[in-house]
Amino acid sequence: MRMTKSSFTLRKVTESRLFFPLLAFALIMLADFLLIPGFFTFQTRDGNLYGSLIDIFRNGSIVALLAIGMTLVIATGGVDLSVGATMAIVASVAALLMNPYVLGKELSPQTLSLILDPHFTWQPLWVVLLVTLLVAIVCGLWNGLLVAYARIQPMVATLILMIAGRGIAQLITNGVRIQIFYEPYSIIGQGWFILPFSLYLVIIVYVLTWLFTRKTAVGMFIESVGINARSSFFSGISERRIKLLAYTFCGFCAGIAGLVASSNIRTSDANNIGWGLELDAILAVVIGGTSMTGGRFSILASIIGAIVMQAVTTSMYAIGVPAFALGAIKGVVVILVILLYSEQVKRFFQNIAAERKETQP
Amino acid sequence: MTQRINAFISKNRRFIPVTVTAVLVFVAYGIGAFLFPAMRNPQVFLNLFSNNAYLLISAIGMTLVILTGGIDLSVSGVVALTTVASAALLRAGWNAWAVIPLMLLMGMCLGSIMGSFITFMKVQPFIATLAGMWFARGMCFFISDDAIAIENRTWSILGETKILIPGLTELAVKQGNPAPYISIFVVVAFILLGAVMYMAHFRRFGRTVYAIGGNEGRNEQSARLMGLSVNSTKLLVYTFNGFCSALAGICWSVFVSSGHGLYASGFELDVIASVVIGGTMLTGGAGYVFGTLFGVMVYGVTQILIQFIGSLSSWWTRIVIGLLMLIFIGVQSLLAAQKEGRQKVLDEQAQAALRRRRWAYAFGGAAVLLIAVLAVNLVPPLLGSGQMATAESGQCEVAPFREAEVADLIQGGAVIAYHRAGGTRCVDELYAVYPDGRAVASADGQQIESQVDPTDLEKILITISDEYGWFTDNMYSTWHNPCGTCYTHYLAISYNKKEKSVTAVDGGVDMQPEYGYTLSIIRPILPKFTQAQ
Repeated sequence: MRMTKSSFTLRKVTESRLFFPLLAFALIMLADFLLIPGFFTFQTRDGNLYGSLIDIFRNGSIVALLAIGMTLVIATGGVDLSVGATMAIVASVAALLMNPYVLGKELSPQTLSLILDPHFTWQPLWVVLLVTLLVAIVCGLWNGLLVAYARIQPMVATLILMIAGRGIAQLITNGVRIQIFYEPYSIIGQGWFILPFSLYLVIIVYVLTWLFTRKTAVGMFIESVGINARSSFFSGISERRIKLLAYTFCGFCAGIAGLVASSNIRTSDANNIGWGLELDAILAVVIGGTSMTGGRFSILASIIGAIVMQAVTTSMYAIGVPAFALGAIKGVVVILVILLYSEQVKRFFQNIAAERKETQP
Repeated sequence: MTQRINAFISKNRRFIPVTVTAVLVFVAYGIGAFLFPAMRNPQVFLNLFSNNAYLLISAIGMTLVILTGGIDLSVSGVVALTTVASAALLRAGWNAWAVIPLMLLMGMCLGSIMGSFITFMKVQPFIATLAGMWFARGMCFFISDDAIAIENRTWSILGETKILIPGLTELAVKQGNPAPYISIFVVVAFILLGAVMYMAHFRRFGRTVYAIGGNEGRNEQSARLMGLSVNSTKLLVYTFNGFCSALAGICWSVFVSSGHGLYASGFELDVIASVVIGGTMLTGGAGYVFGTLFGVMVYGVTQILIQFIGSLSSWWTRIVIGLLMLIFIGVQSLLAAQKEGRQKVLDEQAQAALRRRRWAYAFGGAAVLLIAVLAVNLVPPLLGSGQMATAESGQCEVAPFREAEVADLIQGGAVIAYHRAGGTRCVDELYAVYPDGRAVASADGQQIESQVDPTDLEKILITISDEYGWFTDNMYSTWHNPCGTCYTHYLAISYNKKEKSVTAVDGGVDMQPEYGYTLSIIRPILPKFTQAQ
């Protein structure tokens, strides 16, 4: 009796959604511990913690933020390719609101010294945050309307903003990369309160999302829409509104990620901010075990997925793999992870196990 | 009469997207030719093909992939890998005629690997090809970090051979223009187009491709049950797309005669957009290979128009393509909705009508937006005659760098010496900033001066030197042929007894971000020429 009970709990652990991402993270950490001396050392400077492990969390926070929104979208059976472009738009709007004088034709010496002043901003910080997040929500709303109400395939609908978005971002700043000198803004991406500020942002957004999806019925509705949109509709769930909500929320998350990214590099670089991150975010969700066809989701698992990807990246840097060549390794890792989750491979192993059982007795 | 027209339209409903695209190409080009006489030169029209041959080659392969209901994001990676690998092999002294088949084989191998993941392991096409893209791009940097120049006779022959168009030559000579020509790769692309059209519309392979796509993957199951060879067809389609990507990569490397891992970033989006605008449904199963040709032409015409209008910046291409995609996807959904509406029972017809009306509003809005955008940007150049002069000549002759003068300025005590040429107004400006904050600009024999605070100047110099690493090896000169509205930069900075000059050109991916940051913080302190000059 005791035996069956213990095997039952083991099964419960291995079948948990967090098991695979956490296992992957643990394996990477183990490899780092063995291969890279001093990977787990922490330094304190001015009471703040620094170290490789902290770097992983800090650099992974942008993808983690994107992954939170992306999880909900993927859970409804869709996908949002436009988050990277939304980030670029948000960065451009933010930079424009803080430093619009760079675009002017004539710059007097007075305005020039103002621009370089780290305490100068055109609009106060709260206006900047409010407007940029509103812009991000509008981007998400646009995607949601196309998907839910115009009934366009999610990938196609969001591809439109993905293509046009970077153009729009450059249009906003007239193609200029605006430098952000305003000091308080840089706290978002570069601030530390013992731990990096962006990490707190991830935690706050996660907790709010968790409360919203798991303490209300919204999470269930999202899963039900993802599993079967039609039957959800017939059982009285407004499937369109749920989809609209998911895409809008994803835009909002992309907005926060865009703020973090632009504050990190202190510029509005429309060509490079968020480049390729939509794919990283989708991958984080997939590593987290949420199926691309929609249905059950776990936001925490997606965040761990994002951290796992960042851990791979940081470890590779620490080993000395050149930055650009990292993609090749990332590609192989992705395929391995996907195969790990794939039904075909699972069935293959199940078949082997079944054969063994047959031959053993 | 109207009844007849209606009957004709509903009979040929499936041709509507292709026809719309084709009409759009010629109307847009016609308007352009009406506004800008330079566009009446047949060479400009033929450049539509010559400049976009790689896009066409890649889009043909992508059309088949999309028809099966899949997608291939790896094209840009394979293109980049082909440019780098071929450049590296040619540098190592390989024969060009051995390199080309090897590259095509490499593309096919990559394509078939991704295809087998998709077909046999049931990995989503999106994910599998994404991993393929990362892999291919990463491999580029295992081969070489820097751009590799190609100095090969065969490569330059491939790039420089001009194929004259019979019939047009006499006409052009009569007009006093040089004889119009197309490049070899246009011929290659058209042969490929013909072959794929034959395969797609007249062979069993093509029928299977159409049968697999559409209806969110449910058709694939039906095709399997019908006994069609779904697996081998899908594998073949992805392999063929790998072949097309490698061919496009060779075309690209001939075009720029170099190879680098950062080339063609975002190229897959252009390819997918061209295919969609060409009338192929992204859900698969509907569309024409021939339409892709028009999709690519729409792309080319948009670029040419933006170049000729001159006051529009290059990023408008992206926005216009996005808008066009929206409109085309809308047209397709509308057609699908109408088809559904006819098949469904009466009480649903009311709903369909509502949906249709909603679409009508959406299209009206989109069309008004497009017209407004074009009007806002078209009217100023038409009214201002000054800008027409440069617009008519199309691209300006970008002045060569004035290295000697810049070096003289630095010798004369300037901390920043900067030469900028090109741009929409085809400028040729020389700037110098001195340690006491005096900034001088000279262009066309005119000279203007302005004054900045020396402490601000010091701050800027510290930023450039320390934060952007101007004097480190990370800052190196780059060059590519500038586009019609791009600037070329030659910037020399002298600080703390170190001096270094670096060149770069706008509108590419080769310029380091730090170079851009440097330009953007220097720009405000330079004196400004007013528009009148």
